[in-house]
Amino acid sequence: MERRLSAASRRSAPSPIQQLSHLAQRVGAVNLAEGFPDFPAPPHVKAAASAAIAADLNQYSHVQGICDILAETAKRDHGLDVDPLTDYVICCGQSEAFAAAIFAIIDQGDEVLLFDPAYETYETCIQLARGVPVYVPLDPPSWTLNEDKFLKYFTSRTKAVILNSPHNPTGKVFSKEELLIISRACEKMDCFAITDEVYEYITYDENKHISLASLPGMQERTIITSSLSKTYSVTGWRIGWACAPASIASAIRNIHVKLTDSAPAPFQEAALTALTSTPDFYSSLKKDYVVRRDFILKLLEDLGLRISFKPQGSVFVFAELPRSWELSDIDFVTNLINSAGVAAVPGRGFFHGDCDSESYHHRYIRFAFCKGDDTLMTAALRMRKLADGTGRKWLTGSGRQEDQTASASP
Amino acid sequence: MNLAAFPASIGTPAAFPGHEMPLNPSSAFSRSASALLRRSLRASLRSISPMASAAAPTSAPAAAKATEQRPVQVAKRLEKFKTTIFTQMSMLAIKHGAINLGQGFPNFDGPDFVKEAAIQAINAGKNQYARGFGVPELNSAIAERFLKDSGLQVDPDKEVTVTSGCTEAIAATILGLINPGDEVILFAPFYDSYEATLSMAGANVKAITLRAPDFAVPLEELKAAVSKNTKAIMINTPHNPTGKMFTREELEFIATLCKENDVLLFSDEVYDKLAFEADHISMASLPGMYERTVTMNSLGKTFSLTGWKIGWAIAPPHLTWGLRQAHSFLTFATCTPMQAAAAAALRAPDSYYEELRRDYSAKKAILLEGLKSAGFIVHPSSGTYFIMVDHTPFGFDNDIEFCEYLIREVGVVAIPPSVFYLNPEEGKNLVRFTFCKDEDTLRAAVERMKTKLRKK
Repeated sequence: MERRLSAASRRSAPSPIQQLSHLAQRVGAVNLAEGFPDFPAPPHVKAAASAAIAADLNQYSHVQGICDILAETAKRDHGLDVDPLTDYVICCGQSEAFAAAIFAIIDQGDEVLLFDPAYETYETCIQLARGVPVYVPLDPPSWTLNEDKFLKYFTSRTKAVILNSPHNPTGKVFSKEELLIISRACEKMDCFAITDEVYEYITYDENKHISLASLPGMQERTIITSSLSKTYSVTGWRIGWACAPASIASAIRNIHVKLTDSAPAPFQEAALTALTSTPDFYSSLKKDYVVRRDFILKLLEDLGLRISFKPQGSVFVFAELPRSWELSDIDFVTNLINSAGVAAVPGRGFFHGDCDSESYHHRYIRFAFCKGDDTLMTAALRMRKLADGTGRKWLTGSGRQEDQTASASP
Repeated sequence: MNLAAFPASIGTPAAFPGHEMPLNPSSAFSRSASALLRRSLRASLRSISPMASAAAPTSAPAAAKATEQRPVQVAKRLEKFKTTIFTQMSMLAIKHGAINLGQGFPNFDGPDFVKEAAIQAINAGKNQYARGFGVPELNSAIAERFLKDSGLQVDPDKEVTVTSGCTEAIAATILGLINPGDEVILFAPFYDSYEATLSMAGANVKAITLRAPDFAVPLEELKAAVSKNTKAIMINTPHNPTGKMFTREELEFIATLCKENDVLLFSDEVYDKLAFEADHISMASLPGMYERTVTMNSLGKTFSLTGWKIGWAIAPPHLTWGLRQAHSFLTFATCTPMQAAAAAALRAPDSYYEELRRDYSAKKAILLEGLKSAGFIVHPSSGTYFIMVDHTPFGFDNDIEFCEYLIREVGVVAIPPSVFYLNPEEGKNLVRFTFCKDEDTLRAAVERMKTKLRKK
């Protein structure tokens, strides 16, 4: 009965991230692959959720206070004037907010521009809505946006541009200049922009997160999506939102209501506490992540991987396999899981479009560092052990057949 | 008038969960929202013609791209998506201080043991992404419960998918298994997400109307409607809004049509534990049907935790695969701590379900007696916590006018069900009441209706 599947679902394949994650689970690998924390969520946020459950706040709900707080924050941090009564849609995670936004604005044949490399979920949402994803490559090694190249991808069918910043998988934070390029193009071509700003509070060094909607001409055409998940380390709670001008928010809301009806009620209540965390919370969040980032960068460099671009934000580093290493991203990750018991993600799943086997598409590995000290230390120990001695040849891909039989797995 | 709020200056009843809104009369928001609505609600309620409305203000003029300043080109699929009747009724209810027997969620809470399980899960750190198709212990608990209820043994990992409520199970099933142009048959009146979601998938919808007083399936009409072009039939049993439960004969008839024409069957069974006058039968348990059936359910109605958004779909592997694809791109994963608690809930002993039925039966008796003596023509309801009645003794032209009057003059809210039909005319004589409220609330509402309703 396979023919009974919709054409759209047959096109979509199981997530490569999830498949390697299953392998990692089977061997008990240290998980530096998936982007969720393994340290506890903040106590004040968890307590708020428990209190809400105990206080019987468990029926269908819309917690307007979330919108009020988000509107204040949008004004304070980005200078955006939004109406909390009409401009927000609370959804089951940024995932659902994005899906609802896509379904709200994309018709059959509409083209949607995405920057490559890109988080894998966007494309399938667009295809489910019968839109056409079009990838604009960012240029390695620093993943820069080239304006001339970008403009060439626009056609009369371009409906929207997707912007994920801070960016998964590269850790790039789009600069003001790059945002201006995007905003000018959107204005000129009269397109929507949909942003994914889930890592908005996780930026490093001098890099500042700028909301695309705050640029001239953008608020009226931008749908902002974000969530609690990464900021408050509660990826399993499914509380996210879309923010857009009232008429567009209304459309998104109408779709959302038919997809899930509402987001989990007690966690909406807990969001009120989370979103009003003190400034200390956010500065600690950043400080802790800087330490983790620097730890993992050192570890990867010691291993011999190239860090051609230091993460400016997000919880990921996109490390490069040196030219001299004769193996692909998938081989490297598979070996890393099997022999060192550490999981990461081969970068090719984030790239789209044709390329030959020599292409840089196969030369990147994504490591997540949203992990507790124990996890990072264990990963370091295992990887250093592999890198010393006979394991090294295995890592670099030369003579690896012999090494696989010779070296004992840790 | 189309209520999708184009242009935005028409009072959008802001961001309520469209289908059932909580009464929150004391909130600052509801005060300002009332003001917002006063302008528009009367006008919109009078002229509501939701599903049949041909007006499509969502489709912006073709020249917009070249000349307009704003790109308000929302998708054409939104023609079917209006701000729902529940939102409007609830707003009016707040304004008039009416007792709300319209919204289909309880004003009492779920059992302590389930809530405690959720709190424990949060404290134990179960706050990160769950496995996309469900936490293993919940998938197992669902499979165990389904075995008890239907006699069918299913594989928890290959045949059970956990979703954000039954609403998402429906969305994932439709988006995962229906192609643009596929023909799908529904029974009117239907829960409002079915038609809207089918239109998102580009399906061709046919509705067969269940008519009062017994809302029986018109078998010959259904037979004439099914052909080799039919991709799927959707049923909801026990049925919202009529309270009807599909009989074995009806299910067997539908099953035969499905097998003869190679048609899929989507079954929404969220009210299966609220079966009063008959036994609930799962279509999947009929011979030859499991391989072509998706059975959908949720935690919310059975455990009075509608805001937790824990639902599921049970289907053979080839159908599960399709709905999982859609699910993983709609919400990616379902709320983790609530899944742990749901597993505890589903392992509740039979005594929990017996007590649930007893409690609800008592509530039903109060409402039933009240509606009868108030003068409604009451249609029999075998299951769910809804009762459908005929309001024509009171002399109103249609259900919306009656419901407005009921709120304003009597102080009780009910739902005008014409929104649940493809052709609203078919529902204009009917009104849906719910009894998922504590007994004091039900008694107070009944009292108001007995004293204030005037027959014409």
